[in-house]
Amino acid sequence: MHLIDIKNVKKGFNDTLALDDVSFYVRENEFVTLLGPSGCGKTTLLRLIGGFEDLDEGAIELNGHSLVDIPPYDRAINTVFQQYALFPHLNVFNNVAFGLKMKKLPKDVIEDKVMRSLAQVRLKGLENRRIDQLSGGQKQRVAMARAIVNEPKVLLLDEPLAALDLKLRQEMQYELKDLQRRLGITFIYVTHDQEEALTMSDTIVVMNEGKILQIGTPVDIYNEPETKFVAFFIGESNIIPGKMLADYQVEFEDHQYVCVDHGFRKNQKVNVVIRPEDITLKKTKGQLNGIVDAVTFKGVHYEIIVYVGKREYIIHSIYPKVKGDKVSLHFDPEAIHVMKDV
Amino acid sequence: MFKKSWIFQLWLLVFIVIPIGLMLLSAVSTFSVLNPTSLEFGFRALEVLRSEVFLRALMQSLKFAGYVTGLGLLIGYPVAYLLARSKSPYKRIWVMALIVPVWSNMLLRIIAFEKLFYPESILNMFGISLDLIGTDFAIVIGMVSIYLPFMIFPIYAVLEKLDPSVLEAAYDLYASPFKRFVHVVLPLSYGGIISGVLMTALPAMTTFALPERLSGGQLLLIGNLIQNYVMRTGRIDLASSMAILLLVVMVIFYRTLLKFDAEGETLV
Repeated sequence: MHLIDIKNVKKGFNDTLALDDVSFYVRENEFVTLLGPSGCGKTTLLRLIGGFEDLDEGAIELNGHSLVDIPPYDRAINTVFQQYALFPHLNVFNNVAFGLKMKKLPKDVIEDKVMRSLAQVRLKGLENRRIDQLSGGQKQRVAMARAIVNEPKVLLLDEPLAALDLKLRQEMQYELKDLQRRLGITFIYVTHDQEEALTMSDTIVVMNEGKILQIGTPVDIYNEPETKFVAFFIGESNIIPGKMLADYQVEFEDHQYVCVDHGFRKNQKVNVVIRPEDITLKKTKGQLNGIVDAVTFKGVHYEIIVYVGKREYIIHSIYPKVKGDKVSLHFDPEAIHVMKDV
Repeated sequence: MFKKSWIFQLWLLVFIVIPIGLMLLSAVSTFSVLNPTSLEFGFRALEVLRSEVFLRALMQSLKFAGYVTGLGLLIGYPVAYLLARSKSPYKRIWVMALIVPVWSNMLLRIIAFEKLFYPESILNMFGISLDLIGTDFAIVIGMVSIYLPFMIFPIYAVLEKLDPSVLEAAYDLYASPFKRFVHVVLPLSYGGIISGVLMTALPAMTTFALPERLSGGQLLLIGNLIQNYVMRTGRIDLASSMAILLLVVMVIFYRTLLKFDAEGETLV
């Protein structure tokens, strides 16, 4: 049973098509991330689900019931806005209590629920603070509490961590994921940060230019990108043009390699993806030989740029190299990922 | 970068502190700028605050200021709201249409109203003859039309700056359009309302040209009394006493308004 169904949704602004025939579904308790560069339509899609925009074509359903004509204040969906959008005239308690007050719950129930959700986001003791007395991280937590206190079926999050600094962002990633598991609320999370998406999601929906390019688990998306764009966008990649000679056999850089991919036409043009961490460098000569061009220390590893002929390869290695070193590139058949050239 | 607050302090001293000091002095002594050597203190001038003519004028002033502020709010808030929320490409023209009249001389506009309010006016051309001079209605119409922009703009400025995502958040949290207005938009525009009320009520309290022209010289508001004492009878001491009382009333009024803006009281 799907909790949310997005069916052939189209949405345009003036002349541009923000969403072009988008379809996917979300299951109960799933953490789904809409991932893509800015302007790809991910926020528009989120706003359509929240009810802040009207769609041009298609359908959006919650539990099999159309949401199209239901205003946002009648949807069992809540949103955590990008800049938090807290009510500046209300203190922390009243911000969190807002939704419950609108639903006219009894006072003691409201008090109880607000205090519980403030505890859940570790903000106990701050209930009387004014909004402008809070730090960025605390505002973020108030925005979370204000949404989850209503126990929505679906929580929409629009780049909720974008305004926080790196350290806090990483901390909040785990906290959000943990919160989602504990509460059992379905999250639809919008971000342009691929690392955030990989860390937190059950399912990632990669979007670009109003279209969905790929839907899959973080591992699938990372290891088996279907298009060049996805390979580029998710992590760093070496993408090399080549052709399939036969099943399990691919040719690129004028050499033949054994791979694990099959099902292509004979001599079909393909793109080969090799992740930087899957390449090892040796000093002995091999099939692919090159010269080290640049070495950058990245903490856990060195980022090494090697030129093989005119093509640049990016390699992550824990062993340093020196500019000008002659090296050969090695990788396993499993490290070669072949995708159609589109 | 540079410490320039002394300019501001000098300004305050020359244009606010010293004039008010002089006013206070003339209210409680025989002090006069023209004859500064005679200085005898006494509170006789304050007696005027108990006179019937003054109390009547005060009541009238409060009444009209009340009318104008109330009506101004009733008309001005919706106008400001529609203007702020409007996405019309002509929005700037609408705003200009409200600003431009303010640029024309106020006295001219008052006299224009005066002409229209007499039975024989240019309106006769359309078969209309008004006889409003001397009525409360004429005063209220004149005051509202002159002070309305001062009510609209502070409110408009605040509403215009409202974060659209805060309004969306209210929708998201089950507030219907009406509830959203009551619990979010209205409280967040209190600042503008207070400015608007002050900018309308205070000038309306002290105006003298408008009541004089539109009442045919019958209506005496505090502004008229002060003007009469200063210009006609030369009783600066009496005028000063009234002006100071007015100042006190306004400060109390202002402090009371500010209390309504306190945090937490805005959501029931």
